[in-house]
Amino acid sequence: MADIRVVEIKNVSKRFDDLIVLDNISLEVHRAENLVVFGRSGQGKSVLLKIIIGLMPPDSGNILIKGQNISELTVSELNRLRKNIGFLFQGSALYDSMTVRENLSFPLKRTYPDMSQSEITNKVVSTLDLVSLEDAIDKMPSELSGGMKKRIALARSIITDPELMLYDEPTTGLDPITTKEISELIINLQKRLNMTSIAVTHDLICAEIIADRAIFLKDAKVAYEGNIKELTGSNDPFLKNFFSHEFVPQ
Amino acid sequence: MNLPKLKQSRRLTYTDYLYNFFATITGLTIFNWQFIKQAFIPPYEISEIKKHMDELGVKTFGIVSITGLIIGLVLAMQSQPVLQRFGATDFLPGMVALSVVRELGPVITALIFAGRVSSGIGAELGSMRVTEQIDAMEVSAVNPFKYLVVTRIIATTMILPVLSVYVIIIAIFGGYIAVIITENMNIYYYIDSVLRSVEFGDFIPGVAKTFVFGYIVGLVGCYKGFTAEGGTEGVGRASTTSVVLSSLLILIFDMILVKISLWIWPTLG
Repeated sequence: MADIRVVEIKNVSKRFDDLIVLDNISLEVHRAENLVVFGRSGQGKSVLLKIIIGLMPPDSGNILIKGQNISELTVSELNRLRKNIGFLFQGSALYDSMTVRENLSFPLKRTYPDMSQSEITNKVVSTLDLVSLEDAIDKMPSELSGGMKKRIALARSIITDPELMLYDEPTTGLDPITTKEISELIINLQKRLNMTSIAVTHDLICAEIIADRAIFLKDAKVAYEGNIKELTGSNDPFLKNFFSHEFVPQ
Repeated sequence: MNLPKLKQSRRLTYTDYLYNFFATITGLTIFNWQFIKQAFIPPYEISEIKKHMDELGVKTFGIVSITGLIIGLVLAMQSQPVLQRFGATDFLPGMVALSVVRELGPVITALIFAGRVSSGIGAELGSMRVTEQIDAMEVSAVNPFKYLVVTRIIATTMILPVLSVYVIIIAIFGGYIAVIITENMNIYYYIDSVLRSVEFGDFIPGVAKTFVFGYIVGLVGCYKGFTAEGGTEGVGRASTTSVVLSSLLILIFDMILVKISLWIWPTLG
Protein backbone atom coordinates (compact mmCIF):
# COMPACT_ATOMS: atom_id res chain seq x y z
CA MET A 1 0.00 0.00 0.00
CA ALA A 2 2.86 2.37 0.83
CA ASP A 3 3.83 2.85 -2.79
CA ILE A 4 0.57 4.56 -3.77
CA ARG A 5 1.37 8.16 -4.59
CA VAL A 6 -1.00 10.50 -2.78
CA VAL A 7 0.74 13.74 -3.74
CA GLU A 8 2.87 14.32 -6.82
CA ILE A 9 4.54 17.67 -7.30
CA LYS A 10 5.86 18.01 -10.83
CA ASN A 11 8.24 20.81 -11.81
CA VAL A 12 6.46 23.44 -9.76
CA SER A 13 7.79 26.99 -9.84
CA LYS A 14 6.52 30.10 -8.10
CA ARG A 15 7.82 33.65 -7.93
CA PHE A 16 6.64 36.88 -6.33
CA ASP A 17 7.84 39.79 -8.45
CA ASP A 18 11.60 39.25 -8.64
CA LEU A 19 11.76 36.73 -5.81
CA ILE A 20 11.80 33.10 -6.90
CA VAL A 21 10.44 31.02 -4.01
CA LEU A 22 10.06 27.65 -5.73
CA ASP A 23 12.17 26.69 -8.72
CA ASN A 24 11.17 23.58 -10.61
CA ILE A 25 10.38 21.51 -7.52
CA SER A 26 9.40 17.86 -7.96
CA LEU A 27 8.58 15.36 -5.24
CA GLU A 28 6.21 12.58 -4.33
CA VAL A 29 4.51 11.61 -1.09
CA HIS A 30 3.21 8.09 -0.67
CA ARG A 31 0.26 6.76 1.28
CA ALA A 32 0.69 6.80 5.08
CA GLU A 33 4.04 8.57 4.72
CA ASN A 34 4.95 11.60 6.83
CA LEU A 35 7.10 14.05 4.92
CA VAL A 36 8.70 16.94 6.75
CA VAL A 37 9.75 20.01 4.80
CA PHE A 38 12.57 22.03 6.33
CA GLY A 39 13.93 25.33 5.18
CA ARG A 40 14.90 28.76 6.39
CA SER A 41 12.24 31.45 6.73
CA GLY A 42 11.01 32.81 3.42
CA GLN A 43 12.14 29.76 1.45
CA GLY A 44 8.68 28.94 0.13
CA LYS A 45 7.66 26.15 2.50
CA SER A 46 4.23 27.56 3.33
CA VAL A 47 3.78 28.60 -0.31
CA LEU A 48 4.34 24.97 -1.30
CA LEU A 49 1.55 23.84 1.03
CA LYS A 50 -0.80 26.54 -0.26
CA ILE A 51 -0.09 25.46 -3.83
CA ILE A 52 -0.81 21.83 -2.94
CA ILE A 53 -4.23 22.70 -1.46
CA GLY A 54 -5.03 25.07 -4.34
CA LEU A 55 -5.06 28.31 -2.36
CA MET A 56 -2.35 29.67 -4.63
CA PRO A 57 -1.72 28.74 -8.27
CA PRO A 58 1.80 27.73 -9.32
CA ASP A 59 3.43 29.76 -12.11
CA SER A 60 4.29 26.49 -13.83
CA GLY A 61 4.20 22.78 -13.12
CA ASN A 62 1.47 20.48 -11.85
CA ILE A 63 0.15 19.17 -8.56
CA LEU A 64 -1.52 15.79 -8.61
CA ILE A 65 -3.47 14.59 -5.60
CA LYS A 66 -4.47 10.95 -5.85
CA GLY A 67 -3.84 11.26 -9.57
CA GLN A 68 -6.02 14.34 -10.08
CA ASN A 69 -4.32 17.41 -11.48
CA ILE A 70 -5.70 20.20 -9.28
CA SER A 71 -5.15 22.94 -11.87
CA GLU A 72 -7.52 21.12 -14.23
CA LEU A 73 -10.32 20.74 -11.68
CA THR A 74 -13.45 22.88 -11.54
CA VAL A 75 -14.22 24.69 -8.27
CA SER A 76 -16.73 22.02 -7.23
CA GLU A 77 -14.33 19.20 -8.12
CA LEU A 78 -11.57 20.92 -6.15
CA ASN A 79 -13.92 21.34 -3.19
CA ARG A 80 -14.81 17.65 -3.37
CA LEU A 81 -11.11 16.82 -3.29
CA ARG A 82 -10.51 19.23 -0.39
CA LYS A 83 -13.00 17.32 1.73
CA ASN A 84 -10.32 14.63 1.94
CA ILE A 85 -7.57 17.05 2.91
CA GLY A 86 -6.94 18.62 6.30
CA PHE A 87 -4.89 21.77 6.74
CA LEU A 88 -3.44 22.99 10.01
CA PHE A 89 -2.59 26.68 9.72
CA GLN A 90 0.44 28.27 11.34
CA GLY A 91 -1.69 30.70 13.36
CA SER A 92 -4.42 28.07 13.96
CA ALA A 93 -6.94 30.20 12.00
CA LEU A 94 -9.83 29.38 14.33
CA TYR A 95 -12.98 31.36 13.50
CA ASP A 96 -13.01 34.16 16.09
CA SER A 97 -16.75 34.61 16.08
CA MET A 98 -17.52 30.93 16.70
CA THR A 99 -17.21 28.74 19.78
CA VAL A 100 -15.00 25.65 19.70
CA ARG A 101 -18.12 23.55 19.07
CA GLU A 102 -19.10 25.74 16.10
CA ASN A 103 -15.53 25.76 14.77
CA LEU A 104 -15.55 21.98 14.66
CA SER A 105 -19.13 21.63 13.43
CA PHE A 106 -18.57 24.04 10.55
CA PRO A 107 -16.49 21.79 8.23
CA LEU A 108 -18.54 18.78 9.29
CA LYS A 109 -21.85 20.36 8.26
CA ARG A 110 -20.36 21.36 4.91
CA THR A 111 -18.79 17.99 4.20
CA TYR A 112 -21.73 15.91 5.39
CA PRO A 113 -24.88 18.03 4.92
CA ASP A 114 -27.14 15.08 5.76
CA MET A 115 -25.59 14.53 9.18
CA SER A 116 -28.03 15.01 12.06
CA GLN A 117 -27.37 17.46 14.89
CA SER A 118 -26.82 14.65 17.40
CA GLU A 119 -24.35 12.93 15.06
CA ILE A 120 -22.49 16.22 14.64
CA THR A 121 -22.36 16.73 18.41
CA ASN A 122 -21.10 13.19 18.96
CA LYS A 123 -18.39 13.62 16.33
CA VAL A 124 -17.32 16.99 17.78
CA VAL A 125 -17.10 15.53 21.30
CA SER A 126 -15.19 12.43 20.18
CA THR A 127 -12.72 14.54 18.15
CA LEU A 128 -12.18 16.90 21.07
CA ASP A 129 -11.56 13.83 23.18
CA LEU A 130 -8.72 12.85 20.81
CA VAL A 131 -6.98 16.15 21.55
CA SER A 132 -7.94 16.00 25.26
CA LEU A 133 -9.95 19.21 25.18
CA GLU A 134 -13.56 18.11 25.69
CA ASP A 135 -13.96 20.74 28.42
CA ALA A 136 -13.25 23.56 25.97
CA ILE A 137 -16.27 22.77 23.79
CA ASP A 138 -18.21 25.95 24.59
CA LYS A 139 -15.25 28.30 24.87
CA MET A 140 -14.44 31.06 22.41
CA PRO A 141 -11.00 31.00 20.70
CA SER A 142 -10.03 34.13 22.65
CA GLU A 143 -10.32 32.14 25.87
CA LEU A 144 -7.78 29.52 24.76
CA SER A 145 -3.99 29.41 25.17
CA GLY A 146 -1.68 29.05 22.15
CA GLY A 147 -1.27 25.30 22.70
CA MET A 148 -5.01 24.80 23.14
CA LYS A 149 -5.68 26.73 19.94
CA LYS A 150 -3.28 24.45 18.07
CA ARG A 151 -5.02 21.37 19.46
CA ILE A 152 -8.46 22.69 18.55
CA ALA A 153 -7.23 23.64 15.07
CA LEU A 154 -5.82 20.13 14.74
CA ALA A 155 -9.15 18.68 15.86
CA ARG A 156 -10.96 20.84 13.31
CA SER A 157 -8.66 19.74 10.51
CA ILE A 158 -9.10 16.01 11.25
CA ILE A 159 -12.80 16.03 12.04
CA THR A 160 -13.76 15.06 8.50
CA ASP A 161 -11.31 12.10 8.61
CA PRO A 162 -9.06 13.39 5.82
CA GLU A 163 -6.70 11.08 3.96
CA LEU A 164 -4.08 13.79 3.57
CA MET A 165 -2.97 16.28 6.23
CA LEU A 166 -0.95 19.40 5.59
CA TYR A 167 0.67 21.02 8.62
CA ASP A 168 2.03 24.55 8.39
CA GLU A 169 4.41 25.04 11.32
CA PRO A 170 2.34 22.93 13.73
CA THR A 171 4.47 23.75 16.78
CA THR A 172 5.67 27.31 16.17
CA GLY A 173 5.62 29.47 19.26
CA LEU A 174 4.97 26.61 21.66
CA ASP A 175 7.13 25.55 24.59
CA PRO A 176 9.14 22.28 24.24
CA ILE A 177 6.72 20.24 26.33
CA THR A 178 3.65 21.38 24.39
CA THR A 179 5.64 20.88 21.17
CA LYS A 180 6.25 17.25 22.13
CA GLU A 181 2.60 16.79 23.11
CA ILE A 182 1.35 18.21 19.81
CA SER A 183 3.87 16.17 17.83
CA GLU A 184 2.92 12.96 19.66
CA LEU A 185 -0.70 13.82 19.03
CA ILE A 186 -0.01 14.24 15.31
CA ILE A 187 1.81 10.94 15.02
CA ASN A 188 -0.82 9.09 17.06
CA LEU A 189 -3.63 10.49 14.97
CA GLN A 190 -1.80 9.56 11.82
CA LYS A 191 -1.29 6.00 12.95
CA ARG A 192 -4.88 5.75 14.08
CA LEU A 193 -6.42 7.25 10.94
CA ASN A 194 -3.74 6.02 8.50
CA MET A 195 -3.23 9.50 7.10
CA THR A 196 -0.59 10.78 4.74
CA SER A 197 0.99 14.06 5.78
CA ILE A 198 3.25 16.87 4.75
CA ALA A 199 4.51 19.07 7.58
CA VAL A 200 6.41 22.30 7.16
CA THR A 201 8.48 23.10 10.20
CA HIS A 202 11.65 24.58 11.63
CA ASP A 203 11.22 22.55 14.74
CA LEU A 204 13.60 19.62 15.11
CA ILE A 205 11.77 18.17 18.13
CA CYS A 206 8.57 17.97 16.13
CA ALA A 207 10.33 16.64 13.01
CA GLU A 208 12.14 13.90 14.93
CA ILE A 209 8.83 12.65 16.28
CA ILE A 210 6.71 12.77 13.13
CA ALA A 211 9.02 12.46 10.09
CA ASP A 212 9.42 9.33 7.97
CA ARG A 213 11.30 11.35 5.39
CA ALA A 214 12.52 14.93 5.22
CA ILE A 215 13.47 17.39 2.52
CA PHE A 216 15.28 20.68 2.87
CA LEU A 217 14.38 23.65 0.68
CA LYS A 218 17.25 25.99 -0.09
CA ASP A 219 17.52 28.62 -2.81
CA ALA A 220 14.03 27.64 -4.02
CA LYS A 221 15.08 24.03 -4.70
CA VAL A 222 15.03 20.71 -2.85
CA ALA A 223 18.64 20.83 -1.69
CA TYR A 224 18.68 17.79 0.61
CA GLU A 225 16.52 14.73 1.02
CA GLY A 226 16.68 11.76 3.35
CA ASN A 227 15.48 10.53 6.70
CA ILE A 228 15.77 12.85 9.67
CA LYS A 229 18.94 11.19 11.02
CA GLU A 230 20.70 11.58 7.71
CA LEU A 231 19.90 15.27 7.60
CA THR A 232 20.76 16.05 11.20
CA GLY A 233 23.93 13.92 11.07
CA SER A 234 25.11 15.38 7.79
CA ASN A 235 28.58 16.94 7.59
CA ASP A 236 27.28 19.59 5.21
CA PRO A 237 28.14 22.95 6.89
CA PHE A 238 24.77 24.44 5.97
CA LEU A 239 22.78 21.60 7.52
CA LYS A 240 25.11 21.55 10.54
CA ASN A 241 24.43 25.23 11.00
CA PHE A 242 20.70 24.73 10.69
CA PHE A 243 20.39 21.82 13.09
CA SER A 244 23.09 22.53 15.69
CA HIS A 245 22.94 25.09 18.45
CA GLU A 246 26.31 26.50 17.52
CA PHE A 247 27.23 28.59 14.55
CA VAL A 248 29.39 26.59 12.14
CA PRO A 249 31.39 28.73 9.68
CA GLN A 250 30.62 27.74 6.07
CA MET B 1 -11.35 36.03 -8.99
CA ASN B 2 -8.31 38.11 -9.85
CA LEU B 3 -8.58 41.53 -8.24
CA PRO B 4 -6.02 44.24 -8.98
CA LYS B 5 -3.65 44.82 -6.08
CA LEU B 6 -3.38 48.33 -4.67
CA LYS B 7 0.03 49.89 -4.20
CA GLN B 8 0.76 50.08 -0.48
CA SER B 9 3.56 52.29 0.69
CA ARG B 10 4.09 55.08 3.14
CA ARG B 11 5.23 57.30 0.30
CA LEU B 12 2.89 57.03 -2.64
CA THR B 13 3.38 59.22 -5.71
CA TYR B 14 0.52 60.92 -7.58
CA THR B 15 0.81 58.20 -10.22
CA ASP B 16 0.37 55.56 -7.50
CA TYR B 17 -2.76 57.33 -6.21
CA LEU B 18 -4.14 57.45 -9.73
CA TYR B 19 -3.31 53.77 -10.21
CA ASN B 20 -5.01 52.90 -6.89
CA PHE B 21 -8.09 54.90 -7.88
CA PHE B 22 -8.58 52.95 -11.10
CA ALA B 23 -7.57 49.66 -9.44
CA THR B 24 -10.27 50.22 -6.79
CA ILE B 25 -12.93 50.95 -9.41
CA THR B 26 -11.89 47.85 -11.39
CA GLY B 27 -11.77 45.74 -8.21
CA LEU B 28 -15.21 46.90 -7.09
CA THR B 29 -16.64 46.17 -10.54
CA ILE B 30 -15.20 42.63 -10.56
CA PHE B 31 -16.35 42.10 -6.97
CA ASN B 32 -19.82 43.34 -7.87
CA TRP B 33 -20.01 41.01 -10.88
CA GLN B 34 -18.89 38.11 -8.71
CA PHE B 35 -21.69 38.93 -6.26
CA ILE B 36 -24.28 38.95 -9.04
CA LYS B 37 -23.01 35.60 -10.32
CA GLN B 38 -22.92 33.90 -6.92
CA ALA B 39 -26.04 35.38 -5.29
CA PHE B 40 -28.35 33.22 -7.41
CA ILE B 41 -26.47 29.93 -7.01
CA PRO B 42 -27.46 27.67 -4.08
CA PRO B 43 -26.82 27.24 -1.19
CA TYR B 44 -28.45 30.54 -0.23
CA GLU B 45 -27.23 30.62 3.40
CA ILE B 46 -30.56 32.04 4.59
CA SER B 47 -29.70 31.57 8.27
CA GLU B 48 -26.49 33.60 7.84
CA ILE B 49 -28.41 36.40 6.09
CA LYS B 50 -30.95 36.47 8.93
CA LYS B 51 -28.15 36.49 11.50
CA HIS B 52 -26.42 39.42 9.82
CA MET B 53 -29.66 41.38 9.45
CA ASP B 54 -30.38 40.85 13.10
CA GLU B 55 -26.88 41.92 14.16
CA LEU B 56 -26.78 44.94 11.86
CA GLY B 57 -30.22 46.08 12.95
CA VAL B 58 -29.38 45.80 16.64
CA LYS B 59 -25.96 47.38 16.14
CA THR B 60 -27.32 50.51 14.49
CA PHE B 61 -30.73 50.81 16.13
CA GLY B 62 -29.60 53.09 18.97
CA ILE B 63 -27.51 55.46 16.92
CA VAL B 64 -30.07 55.88 14.13
CA SER B 65 -32.82 56.52 16.70
CA ILE B 66 -30.86 59.41 18.20
CA THR B 67 -29.86 60.69 14.78
CA GLY B 68 -33.46 60.60 13.52
CA LEU B 69 -34.77 62.46 16.52
CA ILE B 70 -32.09 65.14 16.22
CA ILE B 71 -32.65 65.58 12.47
CA GLY B 72 -36.35 66.25 13.05
CA LEU B 73 -35.75 68.54 16.03
CA VAL B 74 -33.06 70.63 14.36
CA LEU B 75 -34.90 70.86 11.06
CA ALA B 76 -38.07 72.11 12.76
CA MET B 77 -36.18 74.48 15.07
CA GLN B 78 -34.25 75.99 12.16
CA SER B 79 -37.25 76.33 9.88
CA GLN B 80 -39.76 77.64 12.39
CA PRO B 81 -38.42 81.25 12.67
CA VAL B 82 -38.12 81.54 8.90
CA LEU B 83 -41.66 80.29 8.29
CA GLN B 84 -42.93 82.51 11.11
CA ARG B 85 -41.48 85.54 9.32
CA PHE B 86 -43.73 84.74 6.36
CA GLY B 87 -46.65 83.69 8.52
CA ALA B 88 -46.41 80.17 7.16
CA THR B 89 -45.88 78.08 10.29
CA ASP B 90 -48.77 75.86 9.23
CA PHE B 91 -46.47 74.49 6.54
CA LEU B 92 -43.88 73.36 9.12
CA PRO B 93 -45.08 69.73 9.52
CA GLY B 94 -45.19 69.25 5.76
CA MET B 95 -41.81 70.85 5.26
CA VAL B 96 -40.16 68.69 7.92
CA ALA B 97 -41.82 65.55 6.56
CA LEU B 98 -40.93 66.24 2.93
CA SER B 99 -37.29 67.05 3.72
CA VAL B 100 -36.93 63.95 5.85
CA VAL B 101 -38.77 61.59 3.52
CA ARG B 102 -37.18 62.70 0.28
CA GLU B 103 -33.61 63.34 1.25
CA LEU B 104 -32.40 63.72 4.82
CA GLY B 105 -33.78 60.50 6.29
CA PRO B 106 -32.42 58.08 3.66
CA VAL B 107 -29.07 59.83 3.14
CA ILE B 108 -28.20 60.48 6.77
CA THR B 109 -29.26 56.98 7.79
CA ALA B 110 -27.09 55.59 4.99
CA LEU B 111 -24.09 57.68 6.08
CA ILE B 112 -24.48 56.63 9.71
CA PHE B 113 -24.93 53.03 8.56
CA ALA B 114 -21.78 53.30 6.44
CA GLY B 115 -19.80 54.60 9.41
CA ARG B 116 -21.04 51.90 11.73
CA VAL B 117 -21.43 48.89 9.46
CA SER B 118 -19.07 49.28 6.51
CA SER B 119 -16.12 49.84 8.85
CA GLY B 120 -17.21 46.86 10.96
CA ILE B 121 -17.46 44.57 7.95
CA GLY B 122 -14.12 45.87 6.60
CA ALA B 123 -12.40 45.22 9.93
CA GLU B 124 -14.04 41.83 10.51
CA LEU B 125 -13.30 40.40 7.07
CA GLY B 126 -9.89 42.09 7.01
CA SER B 127 -9.02 40.43 10.29
CA MET B 128 -10.26 37.08 8.97
CA ARG B 129 -8.14 37.55 5.86
CA VAL B 130 -4.87 38.36 7.63
CA THR B 131 -5.33 35.58 10.21
CA GLU B 132 -5.97 33.03 7.43
CA GLN B 133 -9.54 32.34 8.59
CA ILE B 134 -10.80 32.94 5.03
CA ASP B 135 -8.20 30.47 3.71
CA ALA B 136 -9.30 28.01 6.40
CA MET B 137 -12.85 28.33 5.15
CA GLU B 138 -11.74 27.72 1.58
CA VAL B 139 -9.79 24.57 2.46
CA SER B 140 -12.87 23.31 4.31
CA ALA B 141 -14.53 23.26 0.87
CA VAL B 142 -16.67 26.29 1.77
CA ASN B 143 -16.96 29.13 -0.70
CA PRO B 144 -15.89 32.09 1.49
CA PHE B 145 -17.21 34.63 -1.01
CA LYS B 146 -20.68 33.16 -0.79
CA TYR B 147 -20.63 32.55 2.95
CA LEU B 148 -19.05 35.84 4.03
CA VAL B 149 -19.65 38.35 1.24
CA VAL B 150 -22.93 37.48 -0.46
CA THR B 151 -24.75 37.06 2.86
CA ARG B 152 -23.51 40.40 4.21
CA ILE B 153 -24.34 42.36 1.06
CA ILE B 154 -27.87 40.93 0.98
CA ALA B 155 -28.28 41.72 4.70
CA THR B 156 -27.15 45.35 4.36
CA THR B 157 -29.32 45.82 1.27
CA MET B 158 -32.40 44.53 3.09
CA ILE B 159 -31.92 46.16 6.48
CA LEU B 160 -31.07 49.76 5.46
CA PRO B 161 -34.52 50.51 3.95
CA VAL B 162 -36.12 49.28 7.20
CA LEU B 163 -33.85 51.53 9.26
CA SER B 164 -34.53 54.46 6.93
CA VAL B 165 -38.30 54.17 7.30
CA TYR B 166 -37.79 54.00 11.06
CA VAL B 167 -35.57 57.10 11.01
CA ILE B 168 -38.13 58.99 8.91
CA ILE B 169 -40.84 58.24 11.48
CA ILE B 170 -38.59 59.20 14.40
CA ALA B 171 -37.48 62.41 12.65
CA ILE B 172 -41.09 63.45 12.02
CA PHE B 173 -41.78 62.81 15.69
CA GLY B 174 -38.68 64.89 16.54
CA GLY B 175 -40.11 67.70 14.44
CA TYR B 176 -43.32 67.56 16.47
CA ILE B 177 -41.36 67.88 19.74
CA ALA B 178 -39.69 71.04 18.39
CA VAL B 179 -43.05 72.43 17.30
CA ILE B 180 -44.86 71.92 20.61
CA ILE B 181 -42.05 73.65 22.52
CA THR B 182 -42.96 76.96 20.90
CA GLU B 183 -46.37 76.48 19.33
CA ASN B 184 -49.55 75.01 20.63
CA MET B 185 -50.08 72.51 17.84
CA ASN B 186 -52.31 69.49 18.24
CA ILE B 187 -50.65 66.13 17.42
CA TYR B 188 -53.59 65.12 15.19
CA TYR B 189 -53.25 68.34 13.24
CA TYR B 190 -49.49 67.73 12.93
CA ILE B 191 -49.97 64.16 11.67
CA ASP B 192 -52.75 65.23 9.34
CA SER B 193 -50.50 67.97 7.87
CA VAL B 194 -47.69 65.48 7.42
CA LEU B 195 -49.93 62.94 5.65
CA ARG B 196 -51.46 65.62 3.42
CA SER B 197 -48.00 66.88 2.39
CA VAL B 198 -46.25 63.59 1.68
CA GLU B 199 -47.40 61.76 -1.41
CA PHE B 200 -46.63 58.25 -2.56
CA GLY B 201 -44.24 59.68 -5.15
CA ASP B 202 -42.24 61.37 -2.37
CA PHE B 203 -41.94 58.26 -0.27
CA ILE B 204 -41.01 55.65 -2.89
CA PRO B 205 -37.88 57.25 -4.42
CA GLY B 206 -36.56 58.12 -0.95
CA VAL B 207 -36.88 54.58 0.33
CA ALA B 208 -35.97 52.91 -2.98
CA LYS B 209 -32.57 54.55 -3.03
CA THR B 210 -31.75 53.12 0.39
CA PHE B 211 -31.63 49.67 -1.21
CA VAL B 212 -28.82 50.99 -3.40
CA PHE B 213 -27.10 52.65 -0.41
CA GLY B 214 -27.34 49.42 1.60
CA TYR B 215 -25.85 47.51 -1.30
CA ILE B 216 -22.98 50.03 -1.54
CA VAL B 217 -22.24 49.76 2.20
CA GLY B 218 -22.11 45.96 2.05
CA LEU B 219 -20.20 45.79 -1.21
CA VAL B 220 -17.50 48.29 -0.22
CA GLY B 221 -17.05 46.89 3.31
CA CYS B 222 -16.75 43.34 2.00
CA TYR B 223 -14.44 44.34 -0.86
CA LYS B 224 -12.07 46.23 1.41
CA GLY B 225 -12.08 43.52 4.08
CA PHE B 226 -11.80 40.60 1.67
CA THR B 227 -8.80 42.15 -0.08
CA ALA B 228 -7.04 43.37 3.08
CA GLU B 229 -3.36 42.55 3.43
CA GLY B 230 -0.45 43.63 5.55
CA GLY B 231 -1.37 42.52 9.09
CA THR B 232 -3.11 44.74 11.59
CA GLU B 233 -2.20 47.86 9.64
CA GLY B 234 -4.05 46.38 6.67
CA VAL B 235 -7.11 45.69 8.84
CA GLY B 236 -7.14 49.32 10.04
CA ARG B 237 -6.77 50.54 6.47
CA ALA B 238 -9.61 48.29 5.30
CA SER B 239 -11.87 49.63 8.02
CA THR B 240 -11.10 53.31 7.37
CA THR B 241 -11.22 53.18 3.60
CA SER B 242 -14.50 51.26 3.73
CA VAL B 243 -16.18 54.20 5.48
CA VAL B 244 -14.62 56.84 3.25
CA LEU B 245 -15.36 55.03 0.00
CA SER B 246 -18.89 53.93 0.88
CA SER B 247 -19.82 57.45 2.14
CA LEU B 248 -18.47 58.98 -1.04
CA LEU B 249 -20.30 56.48 -3.24
CA ILE B 250 -23.54 57.04 -1.28
CA LEU B 251 -23.37 60.78 -2.04
CA ILE B 252 -22.50 60.23 -5.70
CA PHE B 253 -25.28 57.68 -6.18
CA ASP B 254 -27.70 59.93 -4.29
CA MET B 255 -27.11 62.63 -6.88
CA ILE B 256 -27.64 60.16 -9.73
CA LEU B 257 -30.74 58.61 -8.15
CA VAL B 258 -32.33 61.99 -7.43
CA LYS B 259 -31.93 62.84 -11.10
CA ILE B 260 -33.43 59.49 -12.12
CA SER B 261 -36.36 59.84 -9.70
CA LEU B 262 -37.12 63.33 -11.03
CA TRP B 263 -37.09 61.88 -14.50
CA ILE B 264 -39.52 59.08 -13.48
CA TRP B 265 -41.71 61.31 -11.28
CA PRO B 266 -41.45 64.79 -12.87
CA THR B 267 -44.07 66.14 -10.45
CA LEU B 268 -41.56 65.82 -7.62
CA GLY B 269 -39.63 68.75 -8.96
